[in-house]
Amino acid sequence: MTPLFEAKGICKYFGGLKAVEQVDMVIREGDIFGIIGPNGAGKTTFFNACSGIDRPTKGQVFLNGEEITRFSSELIAKKGMARTFQNIKLFKYMSVLENIKIGFHNQLKTTLFDSILHTKRYKEDEKFATEMGLNIINRVGLGDYKETLAGNLPYGIQRKVEIARALALKPKILLLDEPAAGMNPVETQSLMHFIKDLNQDGYTIAVIEHDMKFVMNSCNKILVLNFGHKISEGCPSEVQNDAKVIEAYFGKSGAMGGAHADR
Amino acid sequence: MEYFLNQLINGICQGAIYALMAIGYSVVVGVVGMVTFTHGEVIMIGAFAAYYIFFWSGHHILIGLVASFLASWILGYFVYKVCYERFFNAPRHVSLLLTIGFSMLIKNLAQIVFGPNQKPMLDIIQPKFFHLGYVQISQLQIVIMATVVIMATLLSLVFNNTKFGIMLKAVSQDKTASYLVGIDVKRIAMLGNSLGCGLGGIAGLLLAIYYQTIQATMGGALGMKAFASSVLGGLTDVRFSALGGLCIGIIENLGITVTTASYRDIFAFSFLILVLIFRPQGFASKIGAKV
Amino acid sequence: MTEQRSEKKLNTLRSSLESLQLWVRHNRGWLLAAAFVLLCIIPFFTTRSYVLGVLCRIFLYSILAGALNTINGYSGQFCLGIAGFFAIGAYSEAILSTAAKMNFWIILPIAGLITAVISLLVALPTLKMQGIYLAIVTLGFSEIVRLLALNWTPLTGGPMGIKGIPVPTFFGIAIRTSKHFYYLYLVMAIIFIFTTSRVIKSRIGRAWMSIREDELASKSLGVFTSRYKALNFMYGAFWAGIAGAIYAPYVRFIDSTYFTLDEGWNILSMMIIGGQGTLIGPIVGSVIVNYLTELLRPIGQWRMVAFALLIIIMMWSRPQGLAGTSSSIIAAKKDRRLRRRFATKQEACNDTAV
Repeated sequence: MTPLFEAKGICKYFGGLKAVEQVDMVIREGDIFGIIGPNGAGKTTFFNACSGIDRPTKGQVFLNGEEITRFSSELIAKKGMARTFQNIKLFKYMSVLENIKIGFHNQLKTTLFDSILHTKRYKEDEKFATEMGLNIINRVGLGDYKETLAGNLPYGIQRKVEIARALALKPKILLLDEPAAGMNPVETQSLMHFIKDLNQDGYTIAVIEHDMKFVMNSCNKILVLNFGHKISEGCPSEVQNDAKVIEAYFGKSGAMGGAHADR
Repeated sequence: MEYFLNQLINGICQGAIYALMAIGYSVVVGVVGMVTFTHGEVIMIGAFAAYYIFFWSGHHILIGLVASFLASWILGYFVYKVCYERFFNAPRHVSLLLTIGFSMLIKNLAQIVFGPNQKPMLDIIQPKFFHLGYVQISQLQIVIMATVVIMATLLSLVFNNTKFGIMLKAVSQDKTASYLVGIDVKRIAMLGNSLGCGLGGIAGLLLAIYYQTIQATMGGALGMKAFASSVLGGLTDVRFSALGGLCIGIIENLGITVTTASYRDIFAFSFLILVLIFRPQGFASKIGAKV
Repeated sequence: MTEQRSEKKLNTLRSSLESLQLWVRHNRGWLLAAAFVLLCIIPFFTTRSYVLGVLCRIFLYSILAGALNTINGYSGQFCLGIAGFFAIGAYSEAILSTAAKMNFWIILPIAGLITAVISLLVALPTLKMQGIYLAIVTLGFSEIVRLLALNWTPLTGGPMGIKGIPVPTFFGIAIRTSKHFYYLYLVMAIIFIFTTSRVIKSRIGRAWMSIREDELASKSLGVFTSRYKALNFMYGAFWAGIAGAIYAPYVRFIDSTYFTLDEGWNILSMMIIGGQGTLIGPIVGSVIVNYLTELLRPIGQWRMVAFALLIIIMMWSRPQGLAGTSSSIIAAKKDRRLRRRFATKQEACNDTAV
């Protein structure tokens, strides 16, 4: 069975700096796949190379067996890969509903003339966008905020909105870049449940995260990067006990016990 | 052949003036970190300052240099106050539109105060010609080229050997880092901006004595040329901007031999557009400012 | 202390403007109907061609400033070269009506399309350009158009321009007087606003605004930003071309001096002062600038000084313009104000809860 997402031998060099070196990754449908590693390990760079924001210097990326290495980010989004960003890229001055409607862009068919003449296609599109948008909002629990300007929301809610917006793409795989960044433990718990629920609903998710509790408790497979290299891979308990991983985080004399106490 | 060589000399002289305009522009864009539309007016004010000072107190070129430098320095201060000071952290389009508005303001005020017509410039440098074989070069041209070389050298000395110059370079590269090491970023930006404008003012003086005429509306085209030269230097690389100015001056003068003024302008704009499309960093390795 | 007071005054001004905006939006239907009726009957109250002429200019420039606003205000692309598109539309009409003797009503959409197609020449190579580089390219394009119009004598009449542009006829009535042109311009302006408002409220308009707010985010949501930027450019250029095509038979003679950079700055001022990112902004700008032009005519050049000062004041106090959109990065609001306001009391209480 072809895996849903596959990265083969991804390298990203910036001049002489090898930010990512020979990283392979296989994500199967239904996974919650975690990517962890110390700061500067190249996680976001790797993510960017896989999602069309950046081109990998070497290597290939496959989505559902189709090679998407050189595709633009908009084409990759159309193919079914949605992502969120480390520093939340919401449309701050648009309402939550409007943000989500943008996500439906490719599912709508209105042309210039349709919009001017308010043809049936236009009316159907607008109905679809509003209904589906409210659908997602209610499913995700953002009902109170649907008309709020995204920039006015608390940080935790903004994260959810960004994920909800990504859901509008009906993605085959959802890439989340440090979704728990800047959150307190309560918010992080809530987010964890949210992501697990999404996975139950059938979404395949890949997450970059620092928060160990989060990763160990939500992901069923983990990839560990350090200095751009893959140093470990496997299920949470395997990775937790991998000496290389312990060394990367705590140095040669560290113990994994420290990982449970977070920041 | 000798016509060609003479045009080349003219081109180098004109190019030198453009180079000075471009150097001033690059300094401004580098230190402030934002592109501006006001440089043309700054050059124009320098030219007019020199014009009036020559009327009131003698014809010595040094007086003109000081006057034009100071006038443009002061104008630069106002440009800074109006267009840059409060907007370092605002979206780019705000200060850009402010510089457009400010240049409109100065251009029209100048037309009101100075009148819209051309004003003839007095002979500051005695017309005297030197001959090198077939080629003819005037004393005026020598003075102009020498002035530019001196200004460029002084600037280089300031950049590399004075504390102020090093602070200028620091602010050009990274405002936050400069702030963190204790540099008064706003003050340096203000001074750097005025310095660049002052150089523009001197370029205005040189243009005035070279063409022996000034006009309140001369700013527009000159600002474009300063920008175009600077583009060739990736906006902030002073040496490549100067090279850009030189190239533009030479090509312009060689172009005279080939076609009319309008078509020269069409080619000039087209060339600029092509550079912006295909190699926006010009001679430099990358664009130095946030566009 | 005085800074706090002036800050307070500015804030009261701002909030009064905001409440005015809300009131207008609320009573939109009535206001539009009233405005429409009023505009239709004005020519019956005054036949002075001077007054009608000014109103014609206001309508015409509403379209031009509106077209520029579609490009700058809605998709965030920095275009300074609207005068060039204006010229192409005008010259297309002039040439086709004088040399090819075509009917005005057939020429009208053709002129718009010609302008749109040529704008593609500008848009395609510059899709990846940002900020001032795009601005300069559009500026350069505008100048190249003017210079070509000045020199390409066989096509454009060169410095002598094109004269004797025929008067359009509408079901037998020759559109010759100010009153006739008044209605023509009024109708075109209404068509422009109506069409644009419909486009803006569709997925196309949303795509444009998403590009303006955050192009990278927009791309990651599957919006093919290059296509939409090009479409946006063509849309704005089309309408500027239409404006040119209805301008030519009004003035009966055109040459390159009608389409200088100053004309471009004129239209830009209307957009900046009146407002970007809204439909009514350019109209407000057209009214203000054209009205002031007439009011300040006796003081000649000082008029331009006044406009320059207005631009500066506007960018200092309200970057989006008087009637511009406050819901955009165009408004350049300081982030902390946005963060501190919560939409509902509940959110304010439950700040950290999810």
